[in-house]
Parts: sequence; C-alpha cells; structure tokens
Amino acid sequence: MRPENYQPVEHPASHEYELYFGPNHPGIEGNYALKLRLSGDEVLSATADGGYLHRGFEKLMEERLWIQNVALVPRICVPDPVPMEETYAHCVEMLGGLEVPERAQWIRVLMLELSRICAHIFTFGGNSATIGQYSTMFWGISERDLILDIFEEITGGRVYHMYITPGGVRRDLPDGVLERIAAVLDDIETRLPEYDDLFFDNPVFMRRSQGIGKMTPEQALAWGVTGPNLRACGLPFDLRRDDPYLVYDQLEFDIPTDTEGDIYARTLVRRSELLQSFRIVRQVLERLPSITGPIRCPLPNPLAWNIPKGSAYARTESSKGELGFYAVSDGGSKPWRVHVRGASSMHAVQVLENLCKGARLEDVAQIMFSLDACPPEVDR
Amino acid sequence: MLLSFASLAVGLFLLLAALLITLIQLPDKILILGLIVTVPVLLLMVAYLTYAERKIIGYIQIRIGPNRVGPRGGLQPIADAIKLMFKEIILPRTSNRFLFISAPILAMAPALAAWAVVPFAKDWVFSDINAGLLYILAMTSIGVYGVIIAGWASNSKYAFLGALRSAAQIVAYEIAMGFALVGVLMASGSLNLSAIVEAQAGKFGFFSWFWLPLFPLFVIYFISGVAETNRAPFDVAEGESEIVAGFHVEYSGMLFAVFFLAEYLNMILISALTAIMFMGGWLSPFVGTPIEVWFSWVPGVVWFFGKTAFFLFLLLWFRATFPRYRYDQIMRLGWKVFIPITIVWLLVVGVFILAELPPWFSIEGGI
Repeated sequence: MRPENYQPVEHPASHEYELYFGPNHPGIEGNYALKLRLSGDEVLSATADGGYLHRGFEKLMEERLWIQNVALVPRICVPDPVPMEETYAHCVEMLGGLEVPERAQWIRVLMLELSRICAHIFTFGGNSATIGQYSTMFWGISERDLILDIFEEITGGRVYHMYITPGGVRRDLPDGVLERIAAVLDDIETRLPEYDDLFFDNPVFMRRSQGIGKMTPEQALAWGVTGPNLRACGLPFDLRRDDPYLVYDQLEFDIPTDTEGDIYARTLVRRSELLQSFRIVRQVLERLPSITGPIRCPLPNPLAWNIPKGSAYARTESSKGELGFYAVSDGGSKPWRVHVRGASSMHAVQVLENLCKGARLEDVAQIMFSLDACPPEVDR
Repeated sequence: MLLSFASLAVGLFLLLAALLITLIQLPDKILILGLIVTVPVLLLMVAYLTYAERKIIGYIQIRIGPNRVGPRGGLQPIADAIKLMFKEIILPRTSNRFLFISAPILAMAPALAAWAVVPFAKDWVFSDINAGLLYILAMTSIGVYGVIIAGWASNSKYAFLGALRSAAQIVAYEIAMGFALVGVLMASGSLNLSAIVEAQAGKFGFFSWFWLPLFPLFVIYFISGVAETNRAPFDVAEGESEIVAGFHVEYSGMLFAVFFLAEYLNMILISALTAIMFMGGWLSPFVGTPIEVWFSWVPGVVWFFGKTAFFLFLLLWFRATFPRYRYDQIMRLGWKVFIPITIVWLLVVGVFILAELPPWFSIEGGI
C-alpha cells in the first residue's frame, strides 16, 4: 500500500552520461578539453575546459623589454604566427609614434598573406583528418612546406620568424625570392582542383558537414564571432577592408561570404579566401620591385627604449578572426600590461559550447576544427 | 611510383600465398602439419599487408612510408611485431579480467577458422564441406562477440560506445551481406565454395563470372564486407577522432596486436570471398576464350591471390580517399539502401534463372 503522499523518485534517465572529451584526444586541436553530457549519441550540453596550454604570455611580456617581446609573441599561436608579430609591432608603433617605411609595409602584407595561406591549408587538413581522411592533411602539409621554405629564405625561421619588428621588418628580401614565391603560388593553385575532388566536393564530406554546427548571423554577432566563421554566416566583415592597416587599402580583393553558417560553409569560405590571398600576394609581387627605400625606421637603442606613457589597441585580421593587442606603457622600458584578444577564445568557448548542443558525438571534433579554434591562442 | 609499390606489395603477397599453397597441397595424413604451418604463414601475410597498407597509403599521401628497418622498410612489420610482443599488457583495474583477455581470442579465432573452407585453387581446400557458405557466414558473425565483449569488459565509456556501434553495424550489414550471398546461392545452386567457383566457368572468361549478372549484389557484398571489417569509411567502431580507438582503447601489447591481426585477417578473408563468389575464384579470366591456352601455365592460385590482392588494394584506396561516414548515416545506408536493393535484385536473379539467361544461367553454362 503506497502512502498518500507517495511520489515516484525521479531517477536521472539512465542513458544520460558524461564523457570527458580531451585534453589528450585525437579529435581536439592541441590540449583542450570538453566536458560533454550525452544522451546516447546526442550531446545535451558541452562545457569547455581550457587552461591546459596556459603559458602566461601576458605576464611574461611585462617582464621583458619592448623589443624582446618580438621573440615571444609568435609563440602564442603556432599555426598562424605572423599576424601576432604584426599586431604587436603595430601596437608598439602606435604607442611609440613610429612611422613604418612603405617598403616594410608591403613586405609585411606579403608575409601576412603567405601566413594566411599556410594557416588555411592547415585548417583543411585538420578538418579532413577529424573525419578520418588523412590524405588532404598530408597533401596540405606538403603544400605548406613550400611556403615554409620561402619563410626560411626570407627570415631564417620556418615557423617562428620574429621578422616583423616595431618600426619595420628585420631584414630585406633576398634576391630572386619574388619569382620563387610566384612559382610556389602557381604550383599550389594548379593543385587546388585535386583538393576539390578529394575533399571539398567529396559527397561523404558534404554529408558530414552540411547543416551541422549551424549558426545564424544574430547568434554569431551575440557570441563575438569574427573572421571566416562570421563571413560564413553572411556578414562580410573583414578588418583588412573595414579598418585597413598597412597598405591593404591599396590592394584589390573580395570578401568571400556564404549564407549557410554551417561547417561546409566555413570550409568553403576559407577555400575562397585562399584564392583572395593568392590575388593579394600577386599584387604585392607586382608592386614590390618598384618600391624602394628603407625597411625600418630608425630606432633608439632598443635596450634602453622607453616608450611614452599611454595605451594603444591594435587589431588585425588573422586567419582565425580579429586579433587584438592592447598594451599599456607607464613610460618604462617594459610594457606595464599587454592583453591579447585572440579570436579563438570566443570560438573555442561560447561558440563551441553552443554549437555542440544538439549535435552528435561524431560532430564535436568536426565543429571544433571547422571553427579553426586554436587552443594556444585561447589559453595564451 | 605508386603503381610500382602497389605491384611490389602484390608481389610479396603472392610469394607468401604461393608458399602457403605448396604447404596445403600435402596429402591428408599430414593435414595437421599443413595447418601448423598455414597459420603462421597467414599471420605473415597479415604482417606484410600492414606494410603494403603503409606504403600504398604513404604514396597516396605524398610520403614514403616505413623506410628505416630493412631494405625499403621491408622488415618494419617484423619489428612492429617484436615491439608489440615485448610491451606490457595493461589490465585496467576495473575491467573484468577473464572477459578482457578472452575477447581478443574470440575475435581472432573465427577470423582464422573461416579459412578452413576457402578454396585457394581446384581441390586446394582444407575442408570441402557442402555448407561452406553457411559456415563462412557463421564464422564472420561470431567475430563481433570479441568486439562486444572487449568493449564491455574494458569498463570504459569510449570502448563501450565503440562496441555498441560495432554490434549495430554488424547486424545491419550482415543482413545485406546474407542477401547478397543468397543471390550467389541461387545463381550457382550450391553452398559449396568450390562448386560456386566451378559454376562461374563459362565460354566468355571474365564476363561469364557472377559479377556481371549479380552486379548490385557484388558491389553491396564488397561494401558490406568493408563495413563488417570496420574499415574506412565505415570505421565508426574505432573512429579515431570521435571515440579514440573504440572497443580496443584499453588494450595494449599483444592483446591489442591480436585485435589488429583479426582485423587484417578479416580484410584478407573478405577480399578472398569476394573473389570466390563474384570473380571466379581461381579461374583464369580467359577461361573458355580462344586465348585461354596462352595462360594455361599460370596456376589457379595465382589468379585467386591476384584477385584477392586487387580487392585488398581497393580497401586501402578507400581508406586513403573517403572520409568516415557518421554512425547514423551508416545505419541508414545499410537498412534503407542496401537491404531493399538486394531483395529486389534477388527477384531479378530469379527471373534470370527462369529465363535461363545465357551465358550465366543457361543449362550448359550455369547451373
């Protein structure tokens, strides 16, 4: 006989469970973790759990001279280091009132766009590897290697260049490098149709990516999405055009957009951006020989370089979105505070959490890779 | 370059196969000896299949693949085997120890046992039983118990998910596979694998094999075979970026290697069965044609293993080019596409047989 006030105890449905996705997981970029609450294969909620790659860059920068930080910033995001150098240099130039010579500006644009090509190719690779197709990844790595050779020739470093310094660039271009860059670009462009066959037009990939990880333009704006992820929702916002820095206002390029806002749209937007970067680099290669002059403005002794009191925020369009550096100087030889606004910190936290909701377990890794979230940039 | 390496791999494969065959040919009284030697040779074939896989996929992906151990990396699989043998077998504290250890054995044993009825050439078969096809179906289905028990006994969420997926997938694809084999059974009128091969001998060589009249069944059988061996693009049971390694995520050392061996043995088996059921087994592609005599010196076993190697190459090629399907998409493909197609085509085959469609189903050529 049940008592009058009997109420059945509500057990949590037994098919609900928690799965720790990361921090060491092949489906996660870098060291990053997601705490997933699943019902069967469906994700009920996802909680981002970062911090595994926190190396304390912002604090480290306070301990170093303005010029020493040039060696530190590219290490913030491994696959796309050049925008970090550029943004930091830009920030210091704003604080110190330095004028960058024209030739240095063109060289910087060249480096930035080559880096964007590298980063986008790398992203395709990651995107395909998460769904078990490693060929695109290895092909992409071999293409990236050609560009890394160019970087090595220009800067001496393959991944971390430390090339863009406040006031200009570290050294001038070697002889004949422009022709070699043109050759590499032609080489990569002729192979793009093969990537279409293998990856972009692959029916299995389309089935795995269309309509998955979808966000509306309103959601994208509310979550602070920038870069290709925002443009895939149909909002043509690009700092290179909307807040031009360096010589981007003298260059012709389109801003590719898509309307769907799903994984496939993000991938296609990146693919179109690749072509726009080719276009920009070709224009730079055309203009660069006619621009002569110094590559660096004269700096005071960098070891005793005191920057006047003040603060500045510089932002550029990295391959992942808006990258910002906010630096405060107290008039000393070291920054008083530097803050890095990495685009990935929005993409890998609130965007990823929200997009994973309702997705299936298999889609989680793909959503993360399609957002191009870079955990080192999130944790810094 | 890719082709030369593919042919190198095929050559190695054929060499081992020939060795295997000369051993099988022994008289009945030393059958046991043949068996004792066959199993290690089969395992060696698996070892060199992994080498071929790494080389072929390496060249598709613009890499070289293993090239350090031995000439052109040729001893890499041996080195891998030695490494795996000397590695510690880690038993998770929360696992069921008995089931945990027996699962790989359960996966491996049927994969080896199925070879008992496979005819390598005319009369070159361990056990020429009349219910060979049923035996094959039974053996390939038992393998899933190893997977399920491994996932259950590991007591890990990732392993459990992999095991569940594997079970559902095998149920779905076993049906399509079974129906495809019913088509073969109707066409050949026998469950005996040797008789199935014999039934494919016709006047038109290559074109009198079953792949042409049973084409949808042939394609579905091979794709279901890919799904049943958990190979890409149907490798959801061990989807690397999703559930890490699926059912064998907790396994290490030799226990892991046994799962690995079972998977590759099943790959070879599925390829061999596709060759037997639809590609005329040991028959020469020119049998019945005027130029048959030119190739009469080629032993049947070479044709058999050549065809097997072709299907194995397809499996590797799939892995390099196809992204993985999602689990629910695989289920949809199995239940909603493959099973209806096979059922419909069985009716068509019935009509073919009633109409005695030459050259496959006419009295002198077919049944």
